[in-house]
Amino acid sequence: MTVPTIQTAGLTKGYGDICALKPLDLQVAEGEWLSVMGHSGSGKSTLMNLVGGLDRPSGGSLSVGGQDLSALSEDGLARFRREFVGIIFQQHHLVPYLSAVENVMLSQYFHSVPDEAEARLALERVGLGHRLKNRPGELSGGEQQRVCIARAIINSPKLLLGDEPTGNLDHKSTVMVLELLKELRAEDRFTVVLVTHNEEVAAWGDRTIYLDDGVLVREERLRS
Amino acid sequence: MFAAKLLPQLFAFFGIAAVVLRGYPERRRPLAVSVGAGFAVGAAVAFFLFRNFPGSFPFELIRTVVGASFFLFWGIAVTALYRSSERALPDASGRSSRLDAVAAPVIALGAAVTAGALAACRFSGNDAPLGPVPALVLLLVIGALLAAAGFFLEAKLPEALTVSRAGTLGGVVALLLLSSSYLVRLDLFSPLSMKVMKGCHDFVHQFMESVLIPDHLFVRPQIWGYIGILFSKEVGFWGGMVIWFTPFLLVAIAVRFELLPSVGHIRQGAQRRKLLAAAIRQRRMKLIVPLLSLVLMAGAAYRSSFPDVEYWDPKPIPVAADPSGDVFIPRKGGEVDLSDGKLHKYLLKGGAREVRFFVMLTPTGKLTVDLDACAICKPDGYGQGEGSVICYYCKTLIPLETVGKPGGCNPVPVAFSEKPDGVHINGVTLVNAWSTTVQSTGAKKEGGK
Repeated sequence: MTVPTIQTAGLTKGYGDICALKPLDLQVAEGEWLSVMGHSGSGKSTLMNLVGGLDRPSGGSLSVGGQDLSALSEDGLARFRREFVGIIFQQHHLVPYLSAVENVMLSQYFHSVPDEAEARLALERVGLGHRLKNRPGELSGGEQQRVCIARAIINSPKLLLGDEPTGNLDHKSTVMVLELLKELRAEDRFTVVLVTHNEEVAAWGDRTIYLDDGVLVREERLRS
Repeated sequence: MFAAKLLPQLFAFFGIAAVVLRGYPERRRPLAVSVGAGFAVGAAVAFFLFRNFPGSFPFELIRTVVGASFFLFWGIAVTALYRSSERALPDASGRSSRLDAVAAPVIALGAAVTAGALAACRFSGNDAPLGPVPALVLLLVIGALLAAAGFFLEAKLPEALTVSRAGTLGGVVALLLLSSSYLVRLDLFSPLSMKVMKGCHDFVHQFMESVLIPDHLFVRPQIWGYIGILFSKEVGFWGGMVIWFTPFLLVAIAVRFELLPSVGHIRQGAQRRKLLAAAIRQRRMKLIVPLLSLVLMAGAAYRSSFPDVEYWDPKPIPVAADPSGDVFIPRKGGEVDLSDGKLHKYLLKGGAREVRFFVMLTPTGKLTVDLDACAICKPDGYGQGEGSVICYYCKTLIPLETVGKPGGCNPVPVAFSEKPDGVHINGVTLVNAWSTTVQSTGAKKEGGK
């Protein structure tokens, strides 16, 4: 039996008096695509931040890739983020004065050492082989998000997190980005956790969970 | 005050323990014991030598050992640079580990014995607050404590801080040289600078005599002025510095240019880069000890240039020759007593010339009259320290037993006659001796304090 990539038991997160995430029990299998849906303030991003090692839980247990994140030091957590997780945000957060390939290499730099040839290959994989030297301002929204995907997968993460990655894109670009994610997941076998408002986007996953006011209220398996 | 004087030797020993343990982490426990025991043995041997071989022999021996370790390090540094171009492959034969099994205890013991002897040298002077036995007991206790402290504190250092084999030896040698630079009689920097200066001087002379005609048409006085720069103290000093610092730089260069592991066979890019990054990080960490060694060497060189020692250097007493040319120095007169074993300086003015000389009773019981200058250096004069006089120019120590003998950097002896009432010297002899043997380029020195 394989160890789940994500395993939580009674996971909670509070900010002062506000409880953003109430005790949550969740398992995400290796290679699974989990969509997380809910209204604003339902705790979706809080869950993603916890799973991605960007924040620490207030209670309960959280294990990602067999590592107990609450037991990791700051350095350990940074190493976990560097080597285990790739994140795509709604805003692309690309460095505006660096080219597409340099933005990808920046991620390599913080992980280990930059390798331009490998960064070029990653951009070619996401269909941007012809836009290597363009800066983010010279790319369309869909292209920018594809650079973000290249940046997220360049360090071979076991877990890819997306926080509304298609929130700013039109329908055509959204399909293109999701199609790309699907292809990459099939090739690299990473686990995907994708936070979204959009039912159509959520439907690309294997399973969807619905959060409301920090509580898991519904779960829907779309495909096994 | 005395405890503060002992600190450099103890710091050096502690540093040696830490560097050796970090250099051979797989043998920490036996090496810590070896280092502690070595320090005790070194101190005991030094006390034995001081007791049975009074004079400069024990110091010469210890200085030779420190100097030899430096020249051994030179060889290791060159080898390290040569081998840096080889890709590090797993040593299936275990040759490297067998070599370490021999090298680690040899380096640990050798360094600790020398460090112990250097610490014991602090107790050899008249100002030592303890006799040999209590001093030895004290050093045994301190040695054991410092070895234990090195063992525990080294374990607290970051794991990533690794040291190459050559870097380990470099750290040890730099600490030994730092330790010895705090002991004037063991200083190696000044004698080496002197040798460089002399080598340069001799080479230029040989070259000029064999290749050029001294009064060659093109070798005008101005050109000789430039050639004269080669004879200066600065050339000796900087030449010496090159010799002292180069092997440490070679080790640093060897580390910097170590080949990275071959990662071409690893398919996953991130894994490949991670391995490369780890190797680069380890290489950077390995640079720390050689660079720190350079800092220690700079400290040792500074210490050698500005030793914290008070020399006996009385102001020269003006004397004059009588009509027959005789210069008379009374055996006793005023504050002077020629039989007190101290340096007594005099100044003879003969026309435009000034001749500085000194009279002194050597430990052999004989009076000697010498110029306050040698035949090699600029005439900066001499000061008297513990068991020796020092040439202010090149910082060479001349044992008191050899004062009065010609050669090298010894003060130039002058013929004199000893009478019951004092010493008689021929003024013309003094002036001629100064004119013919002392470098004319020297700046005038009033001397004394």
